[in-house]
Amino acid sequence: MTPVKKTMTLNLTDAEMRVLEELCIKKDLNKTTILRQALRLYQLVEARLEKGDKLLFEEELTKEKTEVMML
Amino acid sequence: MTVTVSPIALFNVEQGISVDAELWDAITEKQLADWEAEWNMELLLALQRLNRAGVERKHWPQSRHWNWRKKTECLQKMLAYPCFSIMCDGMTQGMMIVDTPSKRCRIECQKGKNLVYIEYIENAPWNRKELLFDPPRYRGIGSILIFAAIMLSKEEGFKGRIGLHSLPQANNFYANSCGMTDLGSDPNYQGLHYFEMTEQQAVAFITKGGQL
Repeated sequence: MTPVKKTMTLNLTDAEMRVLEELCIKKDLNKTTILRQALRLYQLVEARLEKGDKLLFEEELTKEKTEVMML
Repeated sequence: MTVTVSPIALFNVEQGISVDAELWDAITEKQLADWEAEWNMELLLALQRLNRAGVERKHWPQSRHWNWRKKTECLQKMLAYPCFSIMCDGMTQGMMIVDTPSKRCRIECQKGKNLVYIEYIENAPWNRKELLFDPPRYRGIGSILIFAAIMLSKEEGFKGRIGLHSLPQANNFYANSCGMTDLGSDPNYQGLHYFEMTEQQAVAFITKGGQL
C-alpha cells in the first residue's frame, strides 16, 4: 500500500551532507528516510508553535528546562 | 485527500468464511461518521450488557472514552501521524493512528532506534468478544492493523520495529498472537504494559500471518 512518491534533487553544502551522512550511520537509516523524518518533525513542531505551545528540552537529572527558539 | 485502498480479507465468524475487505491509509469523514453513529451506540449497549452481567467497571474497556473525531482532528494533515482504517460491508471495522518520528525503541538490542509507535488502535465493538458479542462479527482486524504498522515501519526504513502501550484487555493479544516483547508496566504511562516488536519478531509475524 505504498503511496506514489515524487523525486526531487537536493543541493547540500559539504557540511550539511556530512551531517546527513553521520545521521544515516548513527540512526541506521538512509538519507531519504532521515529527511522525511526531519520534515515530519518540522511540520509537527511548527503546528504546535502556531498554536502557541513552546518547544522545551528538559535536563534528565536536574529537570532544568530550556526553550528552543524556532526562527 | 488521497486515500490508498488495499484489498484484504477478514474472517466472518458466524458464517465461517473469509470475506473481502479494504485497508485504507486514512481515517476520513466516513469512518468518523461510522464511529459516531454506529460504534458509540453499540458500545453503550455493550456496556449495559457488561453492567447487567455484573462485570466490574474496572474490567470495562478503557477505550470507551476515546473520541476518534477529536483525536483525528488534532492529528489530521500531520505527516508525523499516519492513520489507517479497515472497511468491510460498507462499515468501519477498525481504526489506528501511529506516530513515526518521535518515539524510540526500548528493547536492549534495538535501544534508541526509530520505530512506528501505535498511538491508538481500536476494533469496532461488534468484533470484540470481551464486550459480550457472541460470536463477534469479524476476526482479523487487530492483526491486519498490526501488519499495516509493520509495513509502514519497513517503508520508513525502521525494519518492522513497532511499539505500543496496551490496554489490559489486549495484553494477551500483543504478547501471544503478535509475538511482541512485553517490557512490563510503564509508570510514566498510567501503568499500561509497553510492548515492542523487533525486526525478527516482525518477520515471524508476517510469515505466520501471510501478506496483504
